[in-house]
Amino acid sequence: MKKLLGYLGVASLAFVSAGALADYPDRTLSLMVPFGAGGGTDVPARFFAAELEKILGQNIIVSNVEGAGGTVGATQLSKADPDGYSLGFMPVGTTTTQPHLKKTSYNADSWTPICMVSQGPFYLVVGSDSPIQSIDDYIAAAQGDLIRFAGAGPGSMAHVAQLTLDEKLGVTTQYIPTKGGGDIATEINGGRAEATAWFSDFASRFGWRAIAIMSDQRSEQHPDVPTMAELGYDTQVSVWFGFFAPAGTPDSIVEKLSSSCEQAAAAESFKENMAMANRLIRYMGTEQFTSFFKEAFDLNGQLLREAGLLK
Amino acid sequence: MTHLLAAIEQFASIEVLLAVIVGCLWGTVAGALPGIGTVSALIVALPFAFGMTTETSMALFLGIYVTSVYGGSISAILINTPGTPQSAATVFDGYPMAKAGKADLAIGWATLSSLIGGLFSLAVLIVAAPSLARVSVAFGPAAIFALILFALTCIAWVSQGSTVKGLLAGMIGLWLTTIGPDDLTGYTRFDFGIPALAGGLSLIPVLIGLFALSEVFHRAAYYFASKPPDVENVGFRLPQFSEVRMRIAQFLKSSAIGTFVGILPGTGATAATFISYSELRRSSPRRENFGKGEPDGIIASEASNNAVTGGALIPTLALGIPGDGGTVVLLGVMTIQGVVPGFDLINNNPQILTGAFLVVLVANAVMFVLGAAGARVFARIMSIPEPLLMGSILVLSLVGAFVVRGNPIDLIVAVLAGLAGFGLRFVGYPVAPIVIGMALGTTFEGKLRQGMISARGDFWEFILDPIALAILALAALTIAAPGISRRLFQKA
Repeated sequence: MKKLLGYLGVASLAFVSAGALADYPDRTLSLMVPFGAGGGTDVPARFFAAELEKILGQNIIVSNVEGAGGTVGATQLSKADPDGYSLGFMPVGTTTTQPHLKKTSYNADSWTPICMVSQGPFYLVVGSDSPIQSIDDYIAAAQGDLIRFAGAGPGSMAHVAQLTLDEKLGVTTQYIPTKGGGDIATEINGGRAEATAWFSDFASRFGWRAIAIMSDQRSEQHPDVPTMAELGYDTQVSVWFGFFAPAGTPDSIVEKLSSSCEQAAAAESFKENMAMANRLIRYMGTEQFTSFFKEAFDLNGQLLREAGLLK
Repeated sequence: MTHLLAAIEQFASIEVLLAVIVGCLWGTVAGALPGIGTVSALIVALPFAFGMTTETSMALFLGIYVTSVYGGSISAILINTPGTPQSAATVFDGYPMAKAGKADLAIGWATLSSLIGGLFSLAVLIVAAPSLARVSVAFGPAAIFALILFALTCIAWVSQGSTVKGLLAGMIGLWLTTIGPDDLTGYTRFDFGIPALAGGLSLIPVLIGLFALSEVFHRAAYYFASKPPDVENVGFRLPQFSEVRMRIAQFLKSSAIGTFVGILPGTGATAATFISYSELRRSSPRRENFGKGEPDGIIASEASNNAVTGGALIPTLALGIPGDGGTVVLLGVMTIQGVVPGFDLINNNPQILTGAFLVVLVANAVMFVLGAAGARVFARIMSIPEPLLMGSILVLSLVGAFVVRGNPIDLIVAVLAGLAGFGLRFVGYPVAPIVIGMALGTTFEGKLRQGMISARGDFWEFILDPIALAILALAALTIAAPGISRRLFQKA
């Protein structure tokens, strides 16, 4: 009797999960954002969730699980059931640098990357009344031991940008770690740091000047800012945001999410929202994003190791 | 002045007024509920920002922001539990006044103080916003470090009976903030290998445990032993004019401290209330009554925390630098609306900043009316049977503890903090210093270390900052003043 019940149980489970696959999604989904509401990761995530709701026909709850460079939320998501109902919107740092820095329980194999949604290249910027006008001025100042480069904590993407710049330009700057965000701006505007790596809103938000963009092409918003490559020092550092599911998510669900993501990224309302918030859409499909992500994971690990940041 | 007219034109509409009122209603209720602090209250409303105009969404969110800080005082006074960390200092005199049968008067003082604090900061900001924006970035890590040290001196004042016990409790609070990620190195500290601890302890669950849950445990214990202390005369009563007039100096001082701390990025309303409490405890002619239900104590906390909300708009809107969790969400709301706070806003759309001030002005007025009218509702709530009331507080508190970060460890932390708070009361340790230490610890340590890195490890180079030294001198004076004046009097 017990055995029979067991079989019945297994059979019904199989039935339920097969049914779940066919009807996916048939209930509310959650989109985990590993940073606070209203922040740099949260805003595009909410725009994206609004599109997915329309496409998938189900409610999506954006849940902000903050802490430790996003690793608290990412750890939680990596342990969630890979049933397509627990998804995540995570940036480059949480997924490709923090696992190396913090020895998290998750790594590159803990995810099924679905797509890249947004990407913003860093600009090398200085304060509005800084005497530094060009990359040559920057190099000269750095050689005179005058550059304090502010950013978030060690191993943050701003730090990665500083390390990369130092290496390419052959200079040594002093890194000033802060809590990030507004603290960086306080240091630059207060004259306690000379430079930082920031996004395209450096002028509209803080009135700063850009020396160069760390990308392979000039941006539409700031067409006058030269690329590092044009200046002879090819460095590309950007912050991107991706849509992830936990590893082991069934293929049929991944396909559904993948096509939904493509539609969402192309939606007019999404484009409008992102443009209003001054954010760039950068769509990359599942296949391409998967290899891009694995590569970035290894590359950033290597960079941090060479910088002596891994213990 | 032209900004003012432009701002009135842009913001004066029924929709904006309605949004402020709705925001104020939700903010007051959320603030009063233990656990649902300013940030959670704002986040709950975030999805609505998508369908709103810039003006209405700013009205909604500023209404919530301002009144959630006020709402925290209601539960601090009525049930000895600050609804938000910003009202932790309101407990010191608000609850004793309520226990003395003057709960209505305590709420009156808190509401009046909040209104005066809010109006004071607005007046200052409308006159001097752009120049204050420049001042705010002059405060480097050393100056903020000194300011936090000043706020920590509050521990000495609230440790009645035994300063040593108070300092120990304060140390525990500081130590608790070292659990979890180290912002400046990225390493995880004291997590004992428990992944859920890797994100550190959040202040809210500890606050809920130490105040709300320990109060519930405490009352439950007394419920079976004897009749619990009744809080009587719940309602709303404004203090007499003569009582208010003799306290004008305290109102102004507390409001000025709040406004000033508000314009400094990353310091926050909680720190402001402790600085203000310390300063008034030192300088008030009624200092002997502090901790026993002295209105000056309520003024110190509630005028300063509401003054911070106005002040904090300066770095947020004029510099694009959000000072605390609440203003981060505000900045996010504006980003969603396509408005970039900061350089462009202040130079090209200054009427939005002025508009924000107007909204805060209206929000303060609505808050006052709500406080007066809502007190009757609170009175009803207070009259439901004790076990039901305590049960509801228990449930609401635990929900509040969980929603802040969605981390299940926060529930365990809240319960453990509740048991610890219950135990500490029995052995005569004050619990408030733990909260003071925890509220200030992260900034205290972060600014010290950030400054030390810039100074390349030289402590003297770090601390020999003129602003920092001036603040440290003030802090030293605050601590030493009672001793000095006592000596002077003895000699005389």
